[in-house]
Amino acid sequence: MSKQEMRKRLAALSFSEKIKILEKLRDRSLALASGGLRKKSEEDASKKADKGSKG
Amino acid sequence: MLGKQTVKATLEAINQMQADGVIGKYAIGGAVGATLYLEPAATLDVDIFVMLPAVPSSLLLSLAPLYDYLKARGGTVKDEHIVVGGWPVQFLPPSNALEREAVAESTSATVEGVTTWVMSAEHLVAIALYTGRAKDHIRILQFVEQDAVDRGKLQSILERHQLTAKWKQFEGKYLEGVHE
Repeated sequence: MSKQEMRKRLAALSFSEKIKILEKLRDRSLALASGGLRKKSEEDASKKADKGSKG
Repeated sequence: MLGKQTVKATLEAINQMQADGVIGKYAIGGAVGATLYLEPAATLDVDIFVMLPAVPSSLLLSLAPLYDYLKARGGTVKDEHIVVGGWPVQFLPPSNALEREAVAESTSATVEGVTTWVMSAEHLVAIALYTGRAKDHIRILQFVEQDAVDRGKLQSILERHQLTAKWKQFEGKYLEGVHE
């Protein structure tokens, strides 16, 4: 699907559905701003490393 | 009233303010308003253009009663916003005829069963043109590219509010060759 088609599809969603996406985008922006996603990915990486060293 | 972290909870709180007579007619503008017509774009706040009830014996309109009402119900002030239902809201009394018209002619919409009011696509474009920041120009382009504005209705709004010259300038700079 092209970028243009994707934008049209998103625009055609109901207002309620689009507001839900806005809420998710905002949560993501806030997490990024507070470094939460980086911390989470670092935690995930260290868990994977632990698993790797055990296995 | 202010516990949940959703736009729905924010709108419920604002509708309650209206029912309690703290505010008059209101309309959502900005990025959240534009979301009714376009694909969602990340934003951190909600812009609410709000008519304030006239206070007898005062010529000035004040947001103080609105802030007092929300603070008494758990709202917290953060810079120029007040956090309502988890979302920072900027309450903006209309500052000119264009914004007053945009509130008066707003269209009803529903968010998860909650009725609310959103500015028309054409008023959002006209206000973005009037405001004229880079992010406003990007939004206008999105409206045009997605054919989300009625060109005739937009033209009459632009004429009514002396924005035709500014629109021509915008068209010349950004829209040459688009939708001709």
